Amino acid sequence: MAVDDKTDSVTVRTRVTRFRQSLPSFGHADQNNLAGLLLMLPNFVVFSLFLLGPVLFALFLSTQDWNVFTSSGEWAWTTLFGVRLPIQNYVEVLTPWPWENNWASLRSPSYNLWWFALRNTIAYVVVVVPTQIIGAFLLALALDMRIRGKKPLRAAYFMPVMLTSAASGVIWRWLLANKGVVNEFLRPFGLANAWANDPGTALGSLMLIGLWGGIGFNMIFYLAGLQSIPEELYEAARIDGATGWQRIKEVTWPNLRNTHFFVIVLSIIGTFQVFGIALVFAKGGPYHATTTTVVLIYKTAFENSSYGKGAAMAFMLFAIVFVFSYYQYQLNQQNEVSY
Amino acid sequence: MPRSNYDYPGYERSGTTYWTKTTLLYAGVIGGALLWSLPFWWMLATSVTANPSAASITLLPSNPTLDHYEALFSTQPIGKWFFNTIVFAGSVTAFNLIFDSLAGYALAKVDFIGREKFFLLFMSTMMIPAMVTLIPVYVFLAKLGWVNTYQGLVAPMIANPIGIFLLRQHFKGMPSALGDAAKIDGCNELQTFYKVYLPLAKPALATLGIYTFIMTWNNFQWPLIIASDDSMYTLPVALFSVRNQFFTEWGLVMAAAAIIVMPVILVFLSAQRYFIRGMTLSGVKG
Repeated sequence: MAVDDKTDSVTVRTRVTRFRQSLPSFGHADQNNLAGLLLMLPNFVVFSLFLLGPVLFALFLSTQDWNVFTSSGEWAWTTLFGVRLPIQNYVEVLTPWPWENNWASLRSPSYNLWWFALRNTIAYVVVVVPTQIIGAFLLALALDMRIRGKKPLRAAYFMPVMLTSAASGVIWRWLLANKGVVNEFLRPFGLANAWANDPGTALGSLMLIGLWGGIGFNMIFYLAGLQSIPEELYEAARIDGATGWQRIKEVTWPNLRNTHFFVIVLSIIGTFQVFGIALVFAKGGPYHATTTTVVLIYKTAFENSSYGKGAAMAFMLFAIVFVFSYYQYQLNQQNEVSY
Repeated sequence: MPRSNYDYPGYERSGTTYWTKTTLLYAGVIGGALLWSLPFWWMLATSVTANPSAASITLLPSNPTLDHYEALFSTQPIGKWFFNTIVFAGSVTAFNLIFDSLAGYALAKVDFIGREKFFLLFMSTMMIPAMVTLIPVYVFLAKLGWVNTYQGLVAPMIANPIGIFLLRQHFKGMPSALGDAAKIDGCNELQTFYKVYLPLAKPALATLGIYTFIMTWNNFQWPLIIASDDSMYTLPVALFSVRNQFFTEWGLVMAAAAIIVMPVILVFLSAQRYFIRGMTLSGVKG
């Protein structure tokens, strides 16, 4: 029987091959090319118009003093070692360098807003990424156990992910307001504070909002990862006498290697571009304490109409994000299976 | 999946240790879930309290009133904003489903020249931070006179590498023999696509559709840039403007927040499976 099955499938395959060979060979390839390119055409048009073209245009904009009313610009030249180069926007954004004035631009926004915003963004990334990943991992472990009511519990943790950043920002602005709920709880302990109006705590509050939404988001990746670990590994560890903690350390954690990597890269890319909650929560204030890089780009380009400078800033952010995105892309490629 | 000792013989589901562990686990998980959903409840409670201040709001509002909602509906064009958001999210979703399934199918099943290069090109656009393209796109659309129009709102959102990736993966997972059989029976490429593969891709299309709809509904950045006139606001931008307008009237602001949040939560709770699948596959949050 098994032999018959095999011959059968071979016959089918030969038949298909013969059918393919029977088609006029160059015509067939042409047909495929035509079909494929026609199917791609609508997307090719929108991608060229709204993603690929704009990147090139942005590169051009970043060298220009652009006026949106006349839709025209002038080259923004800067002389470097005696040669005129169209990099004035970049130079204006980057100077004074952070090490000038005894690193003051990292402590105060009045020297150079770009470096101060970058400092805020990096602080946000450094705090939020590890915290939300460890939190998500622990939460996924707990919710992967045999407990009742898994579904509503998961939904509860995931719900903040569903919010538009405008809503998260507004809701937390009220919770953390001077006469808000959080202060109501903290006042008896003498910890009440104007969280959003105090430059010392505004960024911290922003991190809290980021974590509120971020933990649920990363949790679902860990849940999916946990379910892909074969049960046999746990059985084997158990037979070898591993305790619960050892099973987590030696089986669960290393087997989530891909998930860790994916989640870390995603979180870094996402947090580097934090925008909505920062703008809505405190409008980048007080004293630029919540001005992150993207908020600064938004304000530069769309509030001050410095499109050239905004584009230059955006490109520098692109350079930072590119490094991390490249790894995500490589990872996606690795996980691919074709049938 | 038996992950816990208590799923194995030799471990009784009783005794102090078992009950302590179980109680602690449940207390932690449920406590956390309550803490996580408290902001939502607080939003609702504030929106139905007459003069909200932290001290006057209780967990269960004693005199619920809909005054804030009434005030909001009578002073603000909420209906118009709802309409804008539905047009925005609906048309972006429709365009994405059509465009992405065409490209996803071609990239997965049609052997055409430069296929891998096209795929690489499309996927590499995922690396571009939104702000890099939004500035030139705004300048370009301003030139076209598309600022404060629906076409300006929708057009740039149609290019969606995530959707193409998601559907391509799905089509790639289907056996090529189906298409070969259809072609032996005389279908051309387009017929093979919409008669054989597309019906099989319905679950993936549902996933992508729901995911795209919610993500577009929630999109704050692009509508904020392109819609400067309050008759073109979508709900998230409208919420931002309501908050700036009624700085101290938190009841009103929370009512506006509730109006935006509740439909999304309802859609999510009823189609949770699809949404989470979309997110796990694409790995992107708006």
